[in-house]
Amino acid sequence: MVYSEECDFIFRLKGILEFACQLDNPNGVQSQSTISKSFQDLRSKVTSKNIVFTVCNSPVLIWPNTGFQSSVESLTEASACGDILQWIESDDGGSKKSSKKKDKKKSGPTVVNMKLLFEVTEPAGNTAPSLIRVSTQQHCVKMPLPLDCALSVTTDERLETVCTGLVEALNKQLADMEEVVLQYRKGSSFLVPQPFHFQLPEPAGLITVVYPAGVPDSQLQAVREDLHRKFELPCDRPYLRRANAFHFPDAAYKDGYLRNPHIHLNPPNIEDAKLYLVQGVYSYHHYMQDHVDDNGWGCAYRSLQTICSWFQQQGYVETAVPTHTQIQQALVDVGDKEPRFVGSRQWIGSIEVQAVLNQLLGVTSKIMFVSQGSELATKGRELANHFQTEGTPVMIGGGVLAHTILGVVWSENTGQIRFLILDPHYTGGEDLQTITDKGWCGWKGPEFWDQNAYYNLCLPQRPKSI
Amino acid sequence: MGRSYFVDEAVEEYLVGIQTAPGSCVTGLLAGQSSPQRDFVVLAVQTPHRESEGQPKASRGVSPLDDIDVEWVTEHAKQVSRMLPGGLCILGLFLVTPPELSKDAQNALKRLIFAMDKYITKGRLWELSEEDVTDQVTLHICSKTKKYPLHSLQLLPYIKLSAKHLISAKPADWKYQTGVSSSWPMLSCSVEVDVQIPVTGSSSDITDKCMKDGLRRWAKQIEAACCLINGRHALDDSELVSGQKKNPKTTHRQTLPARIFVSDEQAELDERSSALVQVCSGSVKVRGVVHCRAYIHNNKPKARHAAQAIKRDIINTVCHRVEMFLEDLLINEGSHKGLCSGQQALPRRVFAPVPVSGLSVCDYMFPDESTADVAERLKEMLDCKTPEEDIDTSLEGNQLFSNVCGSEITESPSDDSSKHVFSEVQTENPKNQKAPQYYAGVAITAAVALLATATSLLYFNE
Repeated sequence: MVYSEECDFIFRLKGILEFACQLDNPNGVQSQSTISKSFQDLRSKVTSKNIVFTVCNSPVLIWPNTGFQSSVESLTEASACGDILQWIESDDGGSKKSSKKKDKKKSGPTVVNMKLLFEVTEPAGNTAPSLIRVSTQQHCVKMPLPLDCALSVTTDERLETVCTGLVEALNKQLADMEEVVLQYRKGSSFLVPQPFHFQLPEPAGLITVVYPAGVPDSQLQAVREDLHRKFELPCDRPYLRRANAFHFPDAAYKDGYLRNPHIHLNPPNIEDAKLYLVQGVYSYHHYMQDHVDDNGWGCAYRSLQTICSWFQQQGYVETAVPTHTQIQQALVDVGDKEPRFVGSRQWIGSIEVQAVLNQLLGVTSKIMFVSQGSELATKGRELANHFQTEGTPVMIGGGVLAHTILGVVWSENTGQIRFLILDPHYTGGEDLQTITDKGWCGWKGPEFWDQNAYYNLCLPQRPKSI
Repeated sequence: MGRSYFVDEAVEEYLVGIQTAPGSCVTGLLAGQSSPQRDFVVLAVQTPHRESEGQPKASRGVSPLDDIDVEWVTEHAKQVSRMLPGGLCILGLFLVTPPELSKDAQNALKRLIFAMDKYITKGRLWELSEEDVTDQVTLHICSKTKKYPLHSLQLLPYIKLSAKHLISAKPADWKYQTGVSSSWPMLSCSVEVDVQIPVTGSSSDITDKCMKDGLRRWAKQIEAACCLINGRHALDDSELVSGQKKNPKTTHRQTLPARIFVSDEQAELDERSSALVQVCSGSVKVRGVVHCRAYIHNNKPKARHAAQAIKRDIINTVCHRVEMFLEDLLINEGSHKGLCSGQQALPRRVFAPVPVSGLSVCDYMFPDESTADVAERLKEMLDCKTPEEDIDTSLEGNQLFSNVCGSEITESPSDDSSKHVFSEVQTENPKNQKAPQYYAGVAITAAVALLATATSLLYFNE
């Protein structure tokens, strides 16, 4: 989740436009041009004087196609887009910037949500209504198109430019949607084209791709390959699967798990040391979640869940994060455990984690063995390399505890090292403040480990796919 | 404690001036606006005399109260409610009886209110919200004592509970005031309507059901739409700012322009991953511009109530004219015909001021009608004389098109009374048509009354 440093705002415009057309013969040659004509009509609608952008949670209405008019006098063509903020009522009253502690970092760009509307008043003519009846047999097709355009801009960008940009984006999105609809149409079966936003490395930035609903990622490989080529993206890791879609900073995650709590921490300041962190997004899994009381025995399971959530959110797998029972069943299925293991409270270790990752997700992992906890301080290079190349969370088990390592700060010269630890033993609720303040996610020194116990680390490897 | 009613003095004058034959009863409507705290009554209209067809009915019941033509009263109420712009509605009924019938008057009124409310709300495309007041007032006037301050007030508010009607009577407060509505702002707008409705069968029953469903979807869009009144958002609980100084001396009525913004969002469709495809036998489009008006009281009204009033007017005006068109078709064509192909003009809306209060009422003019017909209807339905030149026909444009009804056009019967809509604009000299059309108007209204009940059941059965 690396934001372009220059981008202060993301203007997001959403709206539903109903696509409708009447086909005499869905399999006939005429149907394609009828469909295209309907899309053309929608594009005209979007460039007409009747479209209006309304800024959510504010009284602001903007008419972008009439030389920029707004319902609020102080917002004119020349206004900077940042001026819009004073009109928006924020519902959390700034709780994003919750702590004054030095440890907390600032959050990403501000999202301004807008909705697309059409004016039905102020018509061009005033002819009273008629009833028009058509009696030919037809296939009537109706489909709501979920338009969703996003623009990243800086504070001083003019509001007018932003709005013109959004209208252009709408037009382009309709063209993309037309292409997808035509490509995946079978007779009178139409798939809804759905837009997804992706934050790509600069210079591409925030882009939008339209995918047909219901077609799984596995069948869209060729489309992604084209796009990887177009945007010069590496061909061994996914950027454009649906799971990779950009998560807007103001959107809550529906499942309620915290994402990447570590970003709210400042790494320790060690001279001459570099920071090596987990890449991408994971969810924090810990004791007592999902109404499962695993206090005292489930820590490795939770660490495994955190790892599975990483693979899911980076788009490598579509399966949901497994439950304790599913994890246990997987171990029985591979012959590692007896059937009565399922439903028990038995601990698991790194080897079992490796086995389950392989069985349920098809992911391979490397195992690193450390005979004494004190030796972990010497594993800086291996861990640094791991985070740089694979960037996956690491499960570490030893003594009587299991933890997840999310990164290291390591100096090649002095050998000084700190570990970023995500602790699955937390039993409270999803309270970011408590979790970071009390160190349930925090930076620890080498003394954190039991100096005499032996440890096994499971280092999951990224599959090479897009 | 019941509700408070502020009643215009003109209404008092009207009620006092009602002539009754000795021993008989007179019924009538009370119309105005409801607000959460109080109601305003601005219009009273007695039920017009019904031209009887054939022999007059022999007196059935023991008392003249039993002779009250419930059907006719409710039909009158329906016609009048179509003539009221947004914000105004029927608030109740009055009944003038001789003193000896006073004690039975309440029951008669209850029956009438019941029947009337049920009839008027059938086929309505918008839902009542929790805030809507559903109380109806019944006013009993003793013909002997009416010249004196009304002390025989009995008001009967009732609350609807889903399908069952629960009636509880409470006395209410009835105060007369001058110029109750004189400073009420009027919201207005012209709305472009373009509704495409697929029709999945060919019988007229199915066509009508499809049309109703299609219009209901459109009505939901309008209800959910964003509204600007006089340039400001009509959201939340803010007060409507009309920019008008409260000076009791000025009776200047402000016109507030309203603007409506819709989105195509329909909750039930949004979760689909594929398009909705229906095999249709055709489609019906309603297309054109409607002019809408609504009044809002000026006792600290909320902006969203004003928005609701104008939105309901938009929905009602489209719904009413389609209903009227179909009713007309039913009378002239018979139920087997249904709509034919091609373009047909719906009746267009005209406005006229009511004397004294100056509020606008409206009527719908079929293409072959003239302002004279409108004036007749206003006289008959609203008991008010409006000079023809005051009837404003300019707000909605005439539909002029030469496209006639497909190849199914039949010769219109030479019956002059037909209000046919087969499109060629009639250029007959309106004067020649005048006399036959007046009687025709009444006969049609009677026929509509008889058939309209059937119409409601047939076309708009819930």
